[in-house]
Amino acid sequence: MNWILPEGAWLGFEGLAAPLQIIRGLGGGTQGQVYEVELEGERLALKWYLPACIARDGGLEQRLVASIRTTAPNDDFLWPIALLRASPASRPLIRIRQESFGYLMPLRPPAYVGASEHAAGRLAIGLRQVLRACFCLSDAFHALHLAGLCYKDVSLGNLFLEPGSGSILICDNDNVAVDGADHGAVLGTPGFMAPEVLLGQARPGADSDLFSLAVLLFRLLTRHDPLKGQMELAIRCLDEPARRRLCGEDPVFIFDPVDARNRPDPIEHAAALITWPIYPRPLQALFVQTFCRGMKQPSRRALTGQWKQELARTLDRRALCPACDQENFQASGAQALCWSCASPLPEPITLSLPRGAVVAGPDNELHLHHFDALAGEDLRRPLARVVAHPQDHRRLGLRNLSTAAWSAEAPDGRAQPVQPGESCSLAALARIHTPEGPIAVQRPTRPSPAA
Amino acid sequence: MPFPDVKLANRPLHFLYLCDCSGSMAASGKMQALNQAIRQSLPGMAAVARDNPEARVLVRAVRFADHAAWHIEAPTPVEQLEWRDLQAGGITAMGEALKLVAAALQTPPMEVRALPPVLVLISDGQPTDDFSAGLESLLRVPWAQKSVRLAIALGHDADLEVLQRFIGSEPATAGRSPRRPLQASNATSLAQYIQWASTAVVGAASMPASRVSETPLEPAAGNIPLPDLPPTVLDPTDDVGPLVW
Repeated sequence: MNWILPEGAWLGFEGLAAPLQIIRGLGGGTQGQVYEVELEGERLALKWYLPACIARDGGLEQRLVASIRTTAPNDDFLWPIALLRASPASRPLIRIRQESFGYLMPLRPPAYVGASEHAAGRLAIGLRQVLRACFCLSDAFHALHLAGLCYKDVSLGNLFLEPGSGSILICDNDNVAVDGADHGAVLGTPGFMAPEVLLGQARPGADSDLFSLAVLLFRLLTRHDPLKGQMELAIRCLDEPARRRLCGEDPVFIFDPVDARNRPDPIEHAAALITWPIYPRPLQALFVQTFCRGMKQPSRRALTGQWKQELARTLDRRALCPACDQENFQASGAQALCWSCASPLPEPITLSLPRGAVVAGPDNELHLHHFDALAGEDLRRPLARVVAHPQDHRRLGLRNLSTAAWSAEAPDGRAQPVQPGESCSLAALARIHTPEGPIAVQRPTRPSPAA
Repeated sequence: MPFPDVKLANRPLHFLYLCDCSGSMAASGKMQALNQAIRQSLPGMAAVARDNPEARVLVRAVRFADHAAWHIEAPTPVEQLEWRDLQAGGITAMGEALKLVAAALQTPPMEVRALPPVLVLISDGQPTDDFSAGLESLLRVPWAQKSVRLAIALGHDADLEVLQRFIGSEPATAGRSPRRPLQASNATSLAQYIQWASTAVVGAASMPASRVSETPLEPAAGNIPLPDLPPTVLDPTDDVGPLVW
């Protein structure tokens, strides 16, 4: 790579009191190059634009300045911190003649890997982590849209995942603008663009973000593309005109309940057929809503709040198959079979809460939104976590992750305190009283092996 | 528990180098410069292939001098590719090279479904055989018609008209000048063009990149919008080389 900013050099920038050292180049593309830099002992990332990119996008500087002023919607965005222009003394060190600029942003920690690694099947990640990443993604866009902003270029390339936790980071926030304020050049990434944007009938905004978000969620959850079924197989050369037909002129969701023209092929599109049935119907319904009615009617697309709610509920339903240990997310009550090994799933212990219910599966968590009707879904600060007993993994307990003591009540009415950090056995309890509200332990009518 | 062991369905992306190995390539270290440029570009190309799970990037190469022959015949995944040096010597059987590629782009051996192939023709001189017949047989093949064709002219003796016919004419569109053969006047610019073709163009042909509003949504000709050429990076230490053609 030919680096525009010399590695190792100290460069001065207008508005920065101290010079900044270019540590190393991290990568480059058609827009510009990204560097790891150090400023007053802190490691940050610097994106430096190519003059051609600046020339194409007249509103770029104005958007960046506005974003820097509004600050990030939440911590999941690698948000611009400062706009940088080289000081007159440093300009000769920049290996490009035309005037250019860049912006500082937080540096992505090495544990976060590109979401395309997951799409390619090269990432060791669990279903719970993928669902959590999907939740975080919806939550981030929820915060962005509530701030009146839109992202415009949602794609796999702009998302990073931490496979251990399902945490995310969203990069390339330089297209973010106030929804409806049309001073941006970007239209989106084909394959993720809403049909009306691809066809040139609308400019990208919050409504087209909702389409792109649904595509990205689908690709994370299924490792497949929502529009690639039989109609894609009929295309020999997948070039631009073909993509335009497939994704713009005649887009058909592969699981459209009515239009069966684009069903997945059992061999070519096995990923979609294997993964789609894993997810509960209410979650599938949001995809159907967005990719069927919402395909042509942008206002019908599932909203970020709906995605958050349904993804959080899906995580609440998580139960492990006693035969193969695989994660299942089926609705309670129904006699269900494990999607992976087809063993019947026993009815699990359920924690009944003022707002919803959580299946007692290891690592499932209780949050404030399970108790407080006014609290939005938020997975960042769990109040309690289901844990397996250290000696007997089949015995499940609930760990108090809050800062206040609980009172655990046995079926005979006797109560015992559970201090923060302690766990209580779910097999022996009927109810737990917490400052946030009561937790009722509901055992299945038939005793399950886990109890 | 791990996510189900499933993968995104992908399509092959065939990338073919057509390298002029005529005797004039031996002059001024051009042959070595081309070998180096291709070898140096492979890690970047492998990284682009890795980032594009929808594509399986497969590389082949044809050399042409007195005759055309496969230098790399089997479509080779880029991460497994080892570039053996091309040797210069002979005349310029460019037309024969095009016929060889035309046969390779027939289905079969080409897959029924693929991404647009990328053909990169690199030459420093004029064809000595029937170029027109070669081009005609190439452009009769549907996969060649769908291909992204690039040409790199090495030095000032390259036949720009022939190279232009190979890539086809694309009229100027709003904000974009017409497509022309890339003219590499030294080793640095050759390396930049090879890198651009093997990374940015491969990226554009395999997974669509972000679109900006001036990119025509319906390209006038050519079925893949080509990315910007690399910027001219000023580096005095890079420009002073023994290779000035």
